[in-house]
Amino acid sequence: MNDFWIILTGILVALSCGLLGVFLILRKMAMVGDAISHAVLPGIVIAYLVAESRNAIVMLIGAAAFGLLTTFMIEWFYRRARIQADASIGITFTWLFAIGVILVSLYTGNVDLDQECVLYGDIAYIPFNLLWIGDNSFGPAPIWLQGGNLILVILGIIFGFRGLFITSFDAGFAGGLGIKTGVWHYLLMGAVSLTVVLSFNAVGAILVVAFLVVPPATAYLLSKNLTTMLWFTALFGIASAVGGFYLAVWWSASISGSMAVAAGALFFLVFMGVRINVILRQKQHKREFQFNTAKA
Amino acid sequence: MRYLLFCLIISVGCTSAPNEGSQKLKIVCTTGIIADAVSEITNDSCIVISLMGPGTDPHLFKPTKESLDDMASADIIVSNGLHLEGRMQDILHKLERTKKVIFLGEALDSETKLYGDEAKKIPDPHIWFDVEIWKTVITYLGDELLQVAPECTDPERIIAYTTQLEDLDIWVSEEMSSIPEPQRVLITAHDAFSYFGRAYNTEVIGLQGISTMAEYGIRDVTNLVDLVISREIKAAFVETSVSSRSIEAVIAGCKDRGYNVKEGGSLYSDALGGKDSGAATYIDMVKTNVSTIKKALK
Repeated sequence: MNDFWIILTGILVALSCGLLGVFLILRKMAMVGDAISHAVLPGIVIAYLVAESRNAIVMLIGAAAFGLLTTFMIEWFYRRARIQADASIGITFTWLFAIGVILVSLYTGNVDLDQECVLYGDIAYIPFNLLWIGDNSFGPAPIWLQGGNLILVILGIIFGFRGLFITSFDAGFAGGLGIKTGVWHYLLMGAVSLTVVLSFNAVGAILVVAFLVVPPATAYLLSKNLTTMLWFTALFGIASAVGGFYLAVWWSASISGSMAVAAGALFFLVFMGVRINVILRQKQHKREFQFNTAKA
Repeated sequence: MRYLLFCLIISVGCTSAPNEGSQKLKIVCTTGIIADAVSEITNDSCIVISLMGPGTDPHLFKPTKESLDDMASADIIVSNGLHLEGRMQDILHKLERTKKVIFLGEALDSETKLYGDEAKKIPDPHIWFDVEIWKTVITYLGDELLQVAPECTDPERIIAYTTQLEDLDIWVSEEMSSIPEPQRVLITAHDAFSYFGRAYNTEVIGLQGISTMAEYGIRDVTNLVDLVISREIKAAFVETSVSSRSIEAVIAGCKDRGYNVKEGGSLYSDALGGKDSGAATYIDMVKTNVSTIKKALK
């Protein structure tokens, strides 16, 4: 049963991160997850200074607040300062992270306080993190949180499909149509930041960053429209979670590390497949061309 | 396709239940230092396992599938507590519902503990470097184990081991007091030795503070260089589980101003050494550390 909970959590995180990641990739903002993983540090420190405790829920609230702030700052600089998305991400998270480091040095240098030891969970601990009501346990608590979040993400994508679709591909065109691009972008970024922080708390940083980028990028290689890209992302996300788990058992290594490795390996395989396909087709074209010219 | 995968997972997930074949009692410890203590006071009728291997920084421990299975199949879990194990601490408190979990930090009263942050009462978790405190901890551990696992806990071994620790405590005191007092200053990368300093009358100066996230500033390095030169301290120390860069910066800083402070060697702080390192048990680790300190400072 323990194995099942871990794989299920992996799949839930892979799906919610991957599906949101599709839109981030299309908007060239794939590294937002990595940015948030650094930028929550001041949130953690401030939450600790205010609440005087390192309780998991206190830390989660601080981190979620700064996750939202991070994505909104990225979006705001991108729109108002008219700088590129990657520059906007870079400015925001280095600045927030640096503020966090300074806060730690000034106020909490003698307390063990960083993302690694107070916020990031590990997927291996999922089966023990049970939800108790009275004397009954209802399965791991993160499963409920992640499951609920995934349902919200899927509902958001289904009902907001048109808006997300147009604003992600061509914001200028969408604006011309009278669609409020700002609303869609802030909604997307808000959903990303909450999903990411929640997932950090359940499974740790590396897996979240990987699931946000790698399965959508793999799907991107194979897809010609948004719907297939979303389905392929889901497929590759699930395959990475399941495959990675059994790699971890086989190697006796970190489970989240192995899942991220599996996602990367899938990308590489698909990439090679696509390349070989292209080369073969070029050769075939050449042969047909030579054959035709010889005939003429 | 997705349904197929789901069915597959469910069927595999349920067949690979943790093996509970062995009849022996299983005691799982978070760090090697704790596992050493447990195996010193128990007999062969139980299995003692350490989740973290030699040289592992407890703050940065990443569990594997194996450690998960060990935790799931454990009868008793022994941990340091006081937030040494980071996020794992929450999980251990949840596991208390289904199995016995011992937090060694609970053996100490609030006067014995040192606080990293005085105002907020956040204790320093590195309790094992004061041998007398560790003896208190062992007595507490022994009492707890006698209650939950009397068949494999050996009261005679507890007495023998605590006597050994008493001797060790005296030995460390003697060794440390043989270093002239002005030079009895321990300069390390992060604050793991506060308990050691208090117990053996040694000034401890950590460049980084307890959290490994608190970066040392240029002023910290300069201040430390001033202090080393003005008090003519002979050596600074690196730790086996923490990066040595910061201490190298201090040594280089002193050299620039024409004062040679040497690197005193590496101290074992958060983890035991490997099998052939000469610091594979708690007692050997303490002895190795004290010898290293004495050789470098005297």
